[in-house]
Amino acid sequence: MLATALLLGLTGLAGAFVLYLTARRFHVEEDPRIDNIESLLPGANCGACGCRGCRDFAATCVQRNSLENLNCPGAREGTMKEIASIMGVETQPEAKRLVAVLRCAGSCKVRPIRYTYDGASNCAVMNAVGVGSRECSWGCLACGDCTSACRFGALKIDPGTGLPLVDTSMCTGCGLCVDECPRSLLELRPAGRRERRVWVACSSHDRGAVARRQCKAACIGCGKCAKECPFDAITLAGNLAYINPDKCKTCGKCVATCPTGAIHATFEIKQPS
Amino acid sequence: MKKTFSKGGIHPVAEKTASAAIRLLPLPQKAMLPLRQHIGAPARATVKRGDHVVRGQMVAEGVSAISASVHTPVSGAVTSIENIMTPWGTPIEAIIVTSSEKEHEADSEIRRLEWEQTLGAKTDLSTAKNIASEEILFHAAKAGIVGLGGATFPAHAKLCVRPENKINTLIINGCECEPYLMCDDALMRNCAPRIIEGTALMIKATSASRAIIAIEDNKTDAIAAISAAIAEAGNASISLEVLQTKYPQGGEKQLIEACTGRRVGSGALPASIGVIVHNVATTFALRQAVTAGQPLIERVVTISGDIPVGERHNYLAAIGTPLSNVPFTIPADKDIHIIAGGPMMGRSAVNLDAPLTKGCCGLTILSGTRRRPTQPCVRCGECVEACPMGLEPYLLSAYGSRQLWREAAAASVTDCLECGACSYSCPSSRPLLDFIRIAKQRARTIKQD
Repeated sequence: MLATALLLGLTGLAGAFVLYLTARRFHVEEDPRIDNIESLLPGANCGACGCRGCRDFAATCVQRNSLENLNCPGAREGTMKEIASIMGVETQPEAKRLVAVLRCAGSCKVRPIRYTYDGASNCAVMNAVGVGSRECSWGCLACGDCTSACRFGALKIDPGTGLPLVDTSMCTGCGLCVDECPRSLLELRPAGRRERRVWVACSSHDRGAVARRQCKAACIGCGKCAKECPFDAITLAGNLAYINPDKCKTCGKCVATCPTGAIHATFEIKQPS
Repeated sequence: MKKTFSKGGIHPVAEKTASAAIRLLPLPQKAMLPLRQHIGAPARATVKRGDHVVRGQMVAEGVSAISASVHTPVSGAVTSIENIMTPWGTPIEAIIVTSSEKEHEADSEIRRLEWEQTLGAKTDLSTAKNIASEEILFHAAKAGIVGLGGATFPAHAKLCVRPENKINTLIINGCECEPYLMCDDALMRNCAPRIIEGTALMIKATSASRAIIAIEDNKTDAIAAISAAIAEAGNASISLEVLQTKYPQGGEKQLIEACTGRRVGSGALPASIGVIVHNVATTFALRQAVTAGQPLIERVVTISGDIPVGERHNYLAAIGTPLSNVPFTIPADKDIHIIAGGPMMGRSAVNLDAPLTKGCCGLTILSGTRRRPTQPCVRCGECVEACPMGLEPYLLSAYGSRQLWREAAAASVTDCLECGACSYSCPSSRPLLDFIRIAKQRARTIKQD
């Protein structure tokens, strides 16, 4: 009994000693700043910064010893300043904040349901099977692949429209939802000054008549907005208008002129008299 | 003991209740001919809007080795080349041919006479004896023949054997293991001599030493017809193999194992072990092309399911006929499924204005068949038991839903033949195949990279 206890105890001690020596021998000196920076980051590992995760971002900051071209879009306001103070380097000017917008407005009211879909409730599956239960082969499938991809809780299916709704206060512009959507309906756009954004909420490349039949809120590619725009920000390609966010001054003229209401804005538009 | 494949398999209710006679489905006034009805590159249109075409004329030609030409089954004017919707609602480019009343009548009469001729005559193997193998390949390519079992792989590409692969066995697939469908069964019962002629042509084209016509044992009439035709032909290299009924016997690798005991390696083609498999309908189409000079403009389709027994028929239908032209009453039920193909491997058809294509074996109309709600996996292993490829469907499906494409590729997801035996056998009604299919598509693109 005693011998067994002693033998086991000694084996344990010897093992511990070997482990101690190994730990000493192979110890890697790590900059404590990495841990400090990581504790400030959101920890979602979304990859929007271009690094492999939050820890990698922190390590990259320390390794480069500068914050040039490094920005965590998911962090709280002022985080980058705190990181700069930890590192003792200059703060970079805040990068343009991006938010996701949905390029589809085909709610249950404007887009009729053609058939009941009873397969797996997953956009990718639904897209692989065919066109989706609602009209329009370009529009939102509304099974919520994007909402489950979002790690910041910024996307929810709106029960009123049946479409995903972006909560811009939570959206960090990481782009996870953009990659997830099998129809590439989400787009990252600059949040804009005073949250003023204008975008075309449609992705249908069908001809005007077809698109209009399938969905009352579709862009029919009439080109009125492109003619109206004073800044040449709107281009037409494949029966679909696109507003270049770099040229757009959010005057809202295109919103007022669109015959189908396919251009959405985050602010009140004054109707032309 | 009759032969079958060793791993997995299921026994769904056969429900082969359609009448065996092949009726002629009237030619459409307006035929819609998609440019891509096969695996491979889409065909290129050789006609333009306003052109006049006649029945059997090529309207689009295959652009590469893996591509197939398209021919018009009706005479008339090309009214447009535009995007139409497939039965599952995705856009596809198609040539629209509209015929006048007079042309329609003439075409219908010619078609009726041609069909009578096809049905009537006795087996005649003289063409197969005298023709060169290159000529058969040329005819197959010219006639736009594709695998009519559903895979739609261009037949000339499959018949063109590479010199390093010596073919010794040709298997003619008459299994038709899919429930409800019996177009191949009907074809074997009605046109057995033509199938034997086609088989002889294929033997010539591939220089195979023997041909096996494989039929499952539940098709007694087809077995009788084929064996009578073989006896009449007196060709010693063609034999009949009656197999045990088990789904998916018609799968290429399963059928090869059942008939020859040989297994095709993962990712390899049957030709690598000296075997080629063709469907009976493809064999028939090849005979029609070579001997009668008729391109692939018609095929036999089965309309079956939960419709009145008097409406369950096999039709000889022209490619490009709108599905809505097929006469059947849609059950007055809220939950009906219309499936292009059979219930196991077919796809839900939501657009009946779409045309019938070369790969469509029929329509199955099911009523009151909503999917049961999905429940958590209970790790029972039924799907693993059922998988004829020896895969682990529960795992592949989990990879698919979690988007672990690399892991799925490592678990041989690309070997899946999408037979649906896993989803069928799952007691928790999990949509296993839905996710496996996505994983398979993505894993393929990874492999290509």
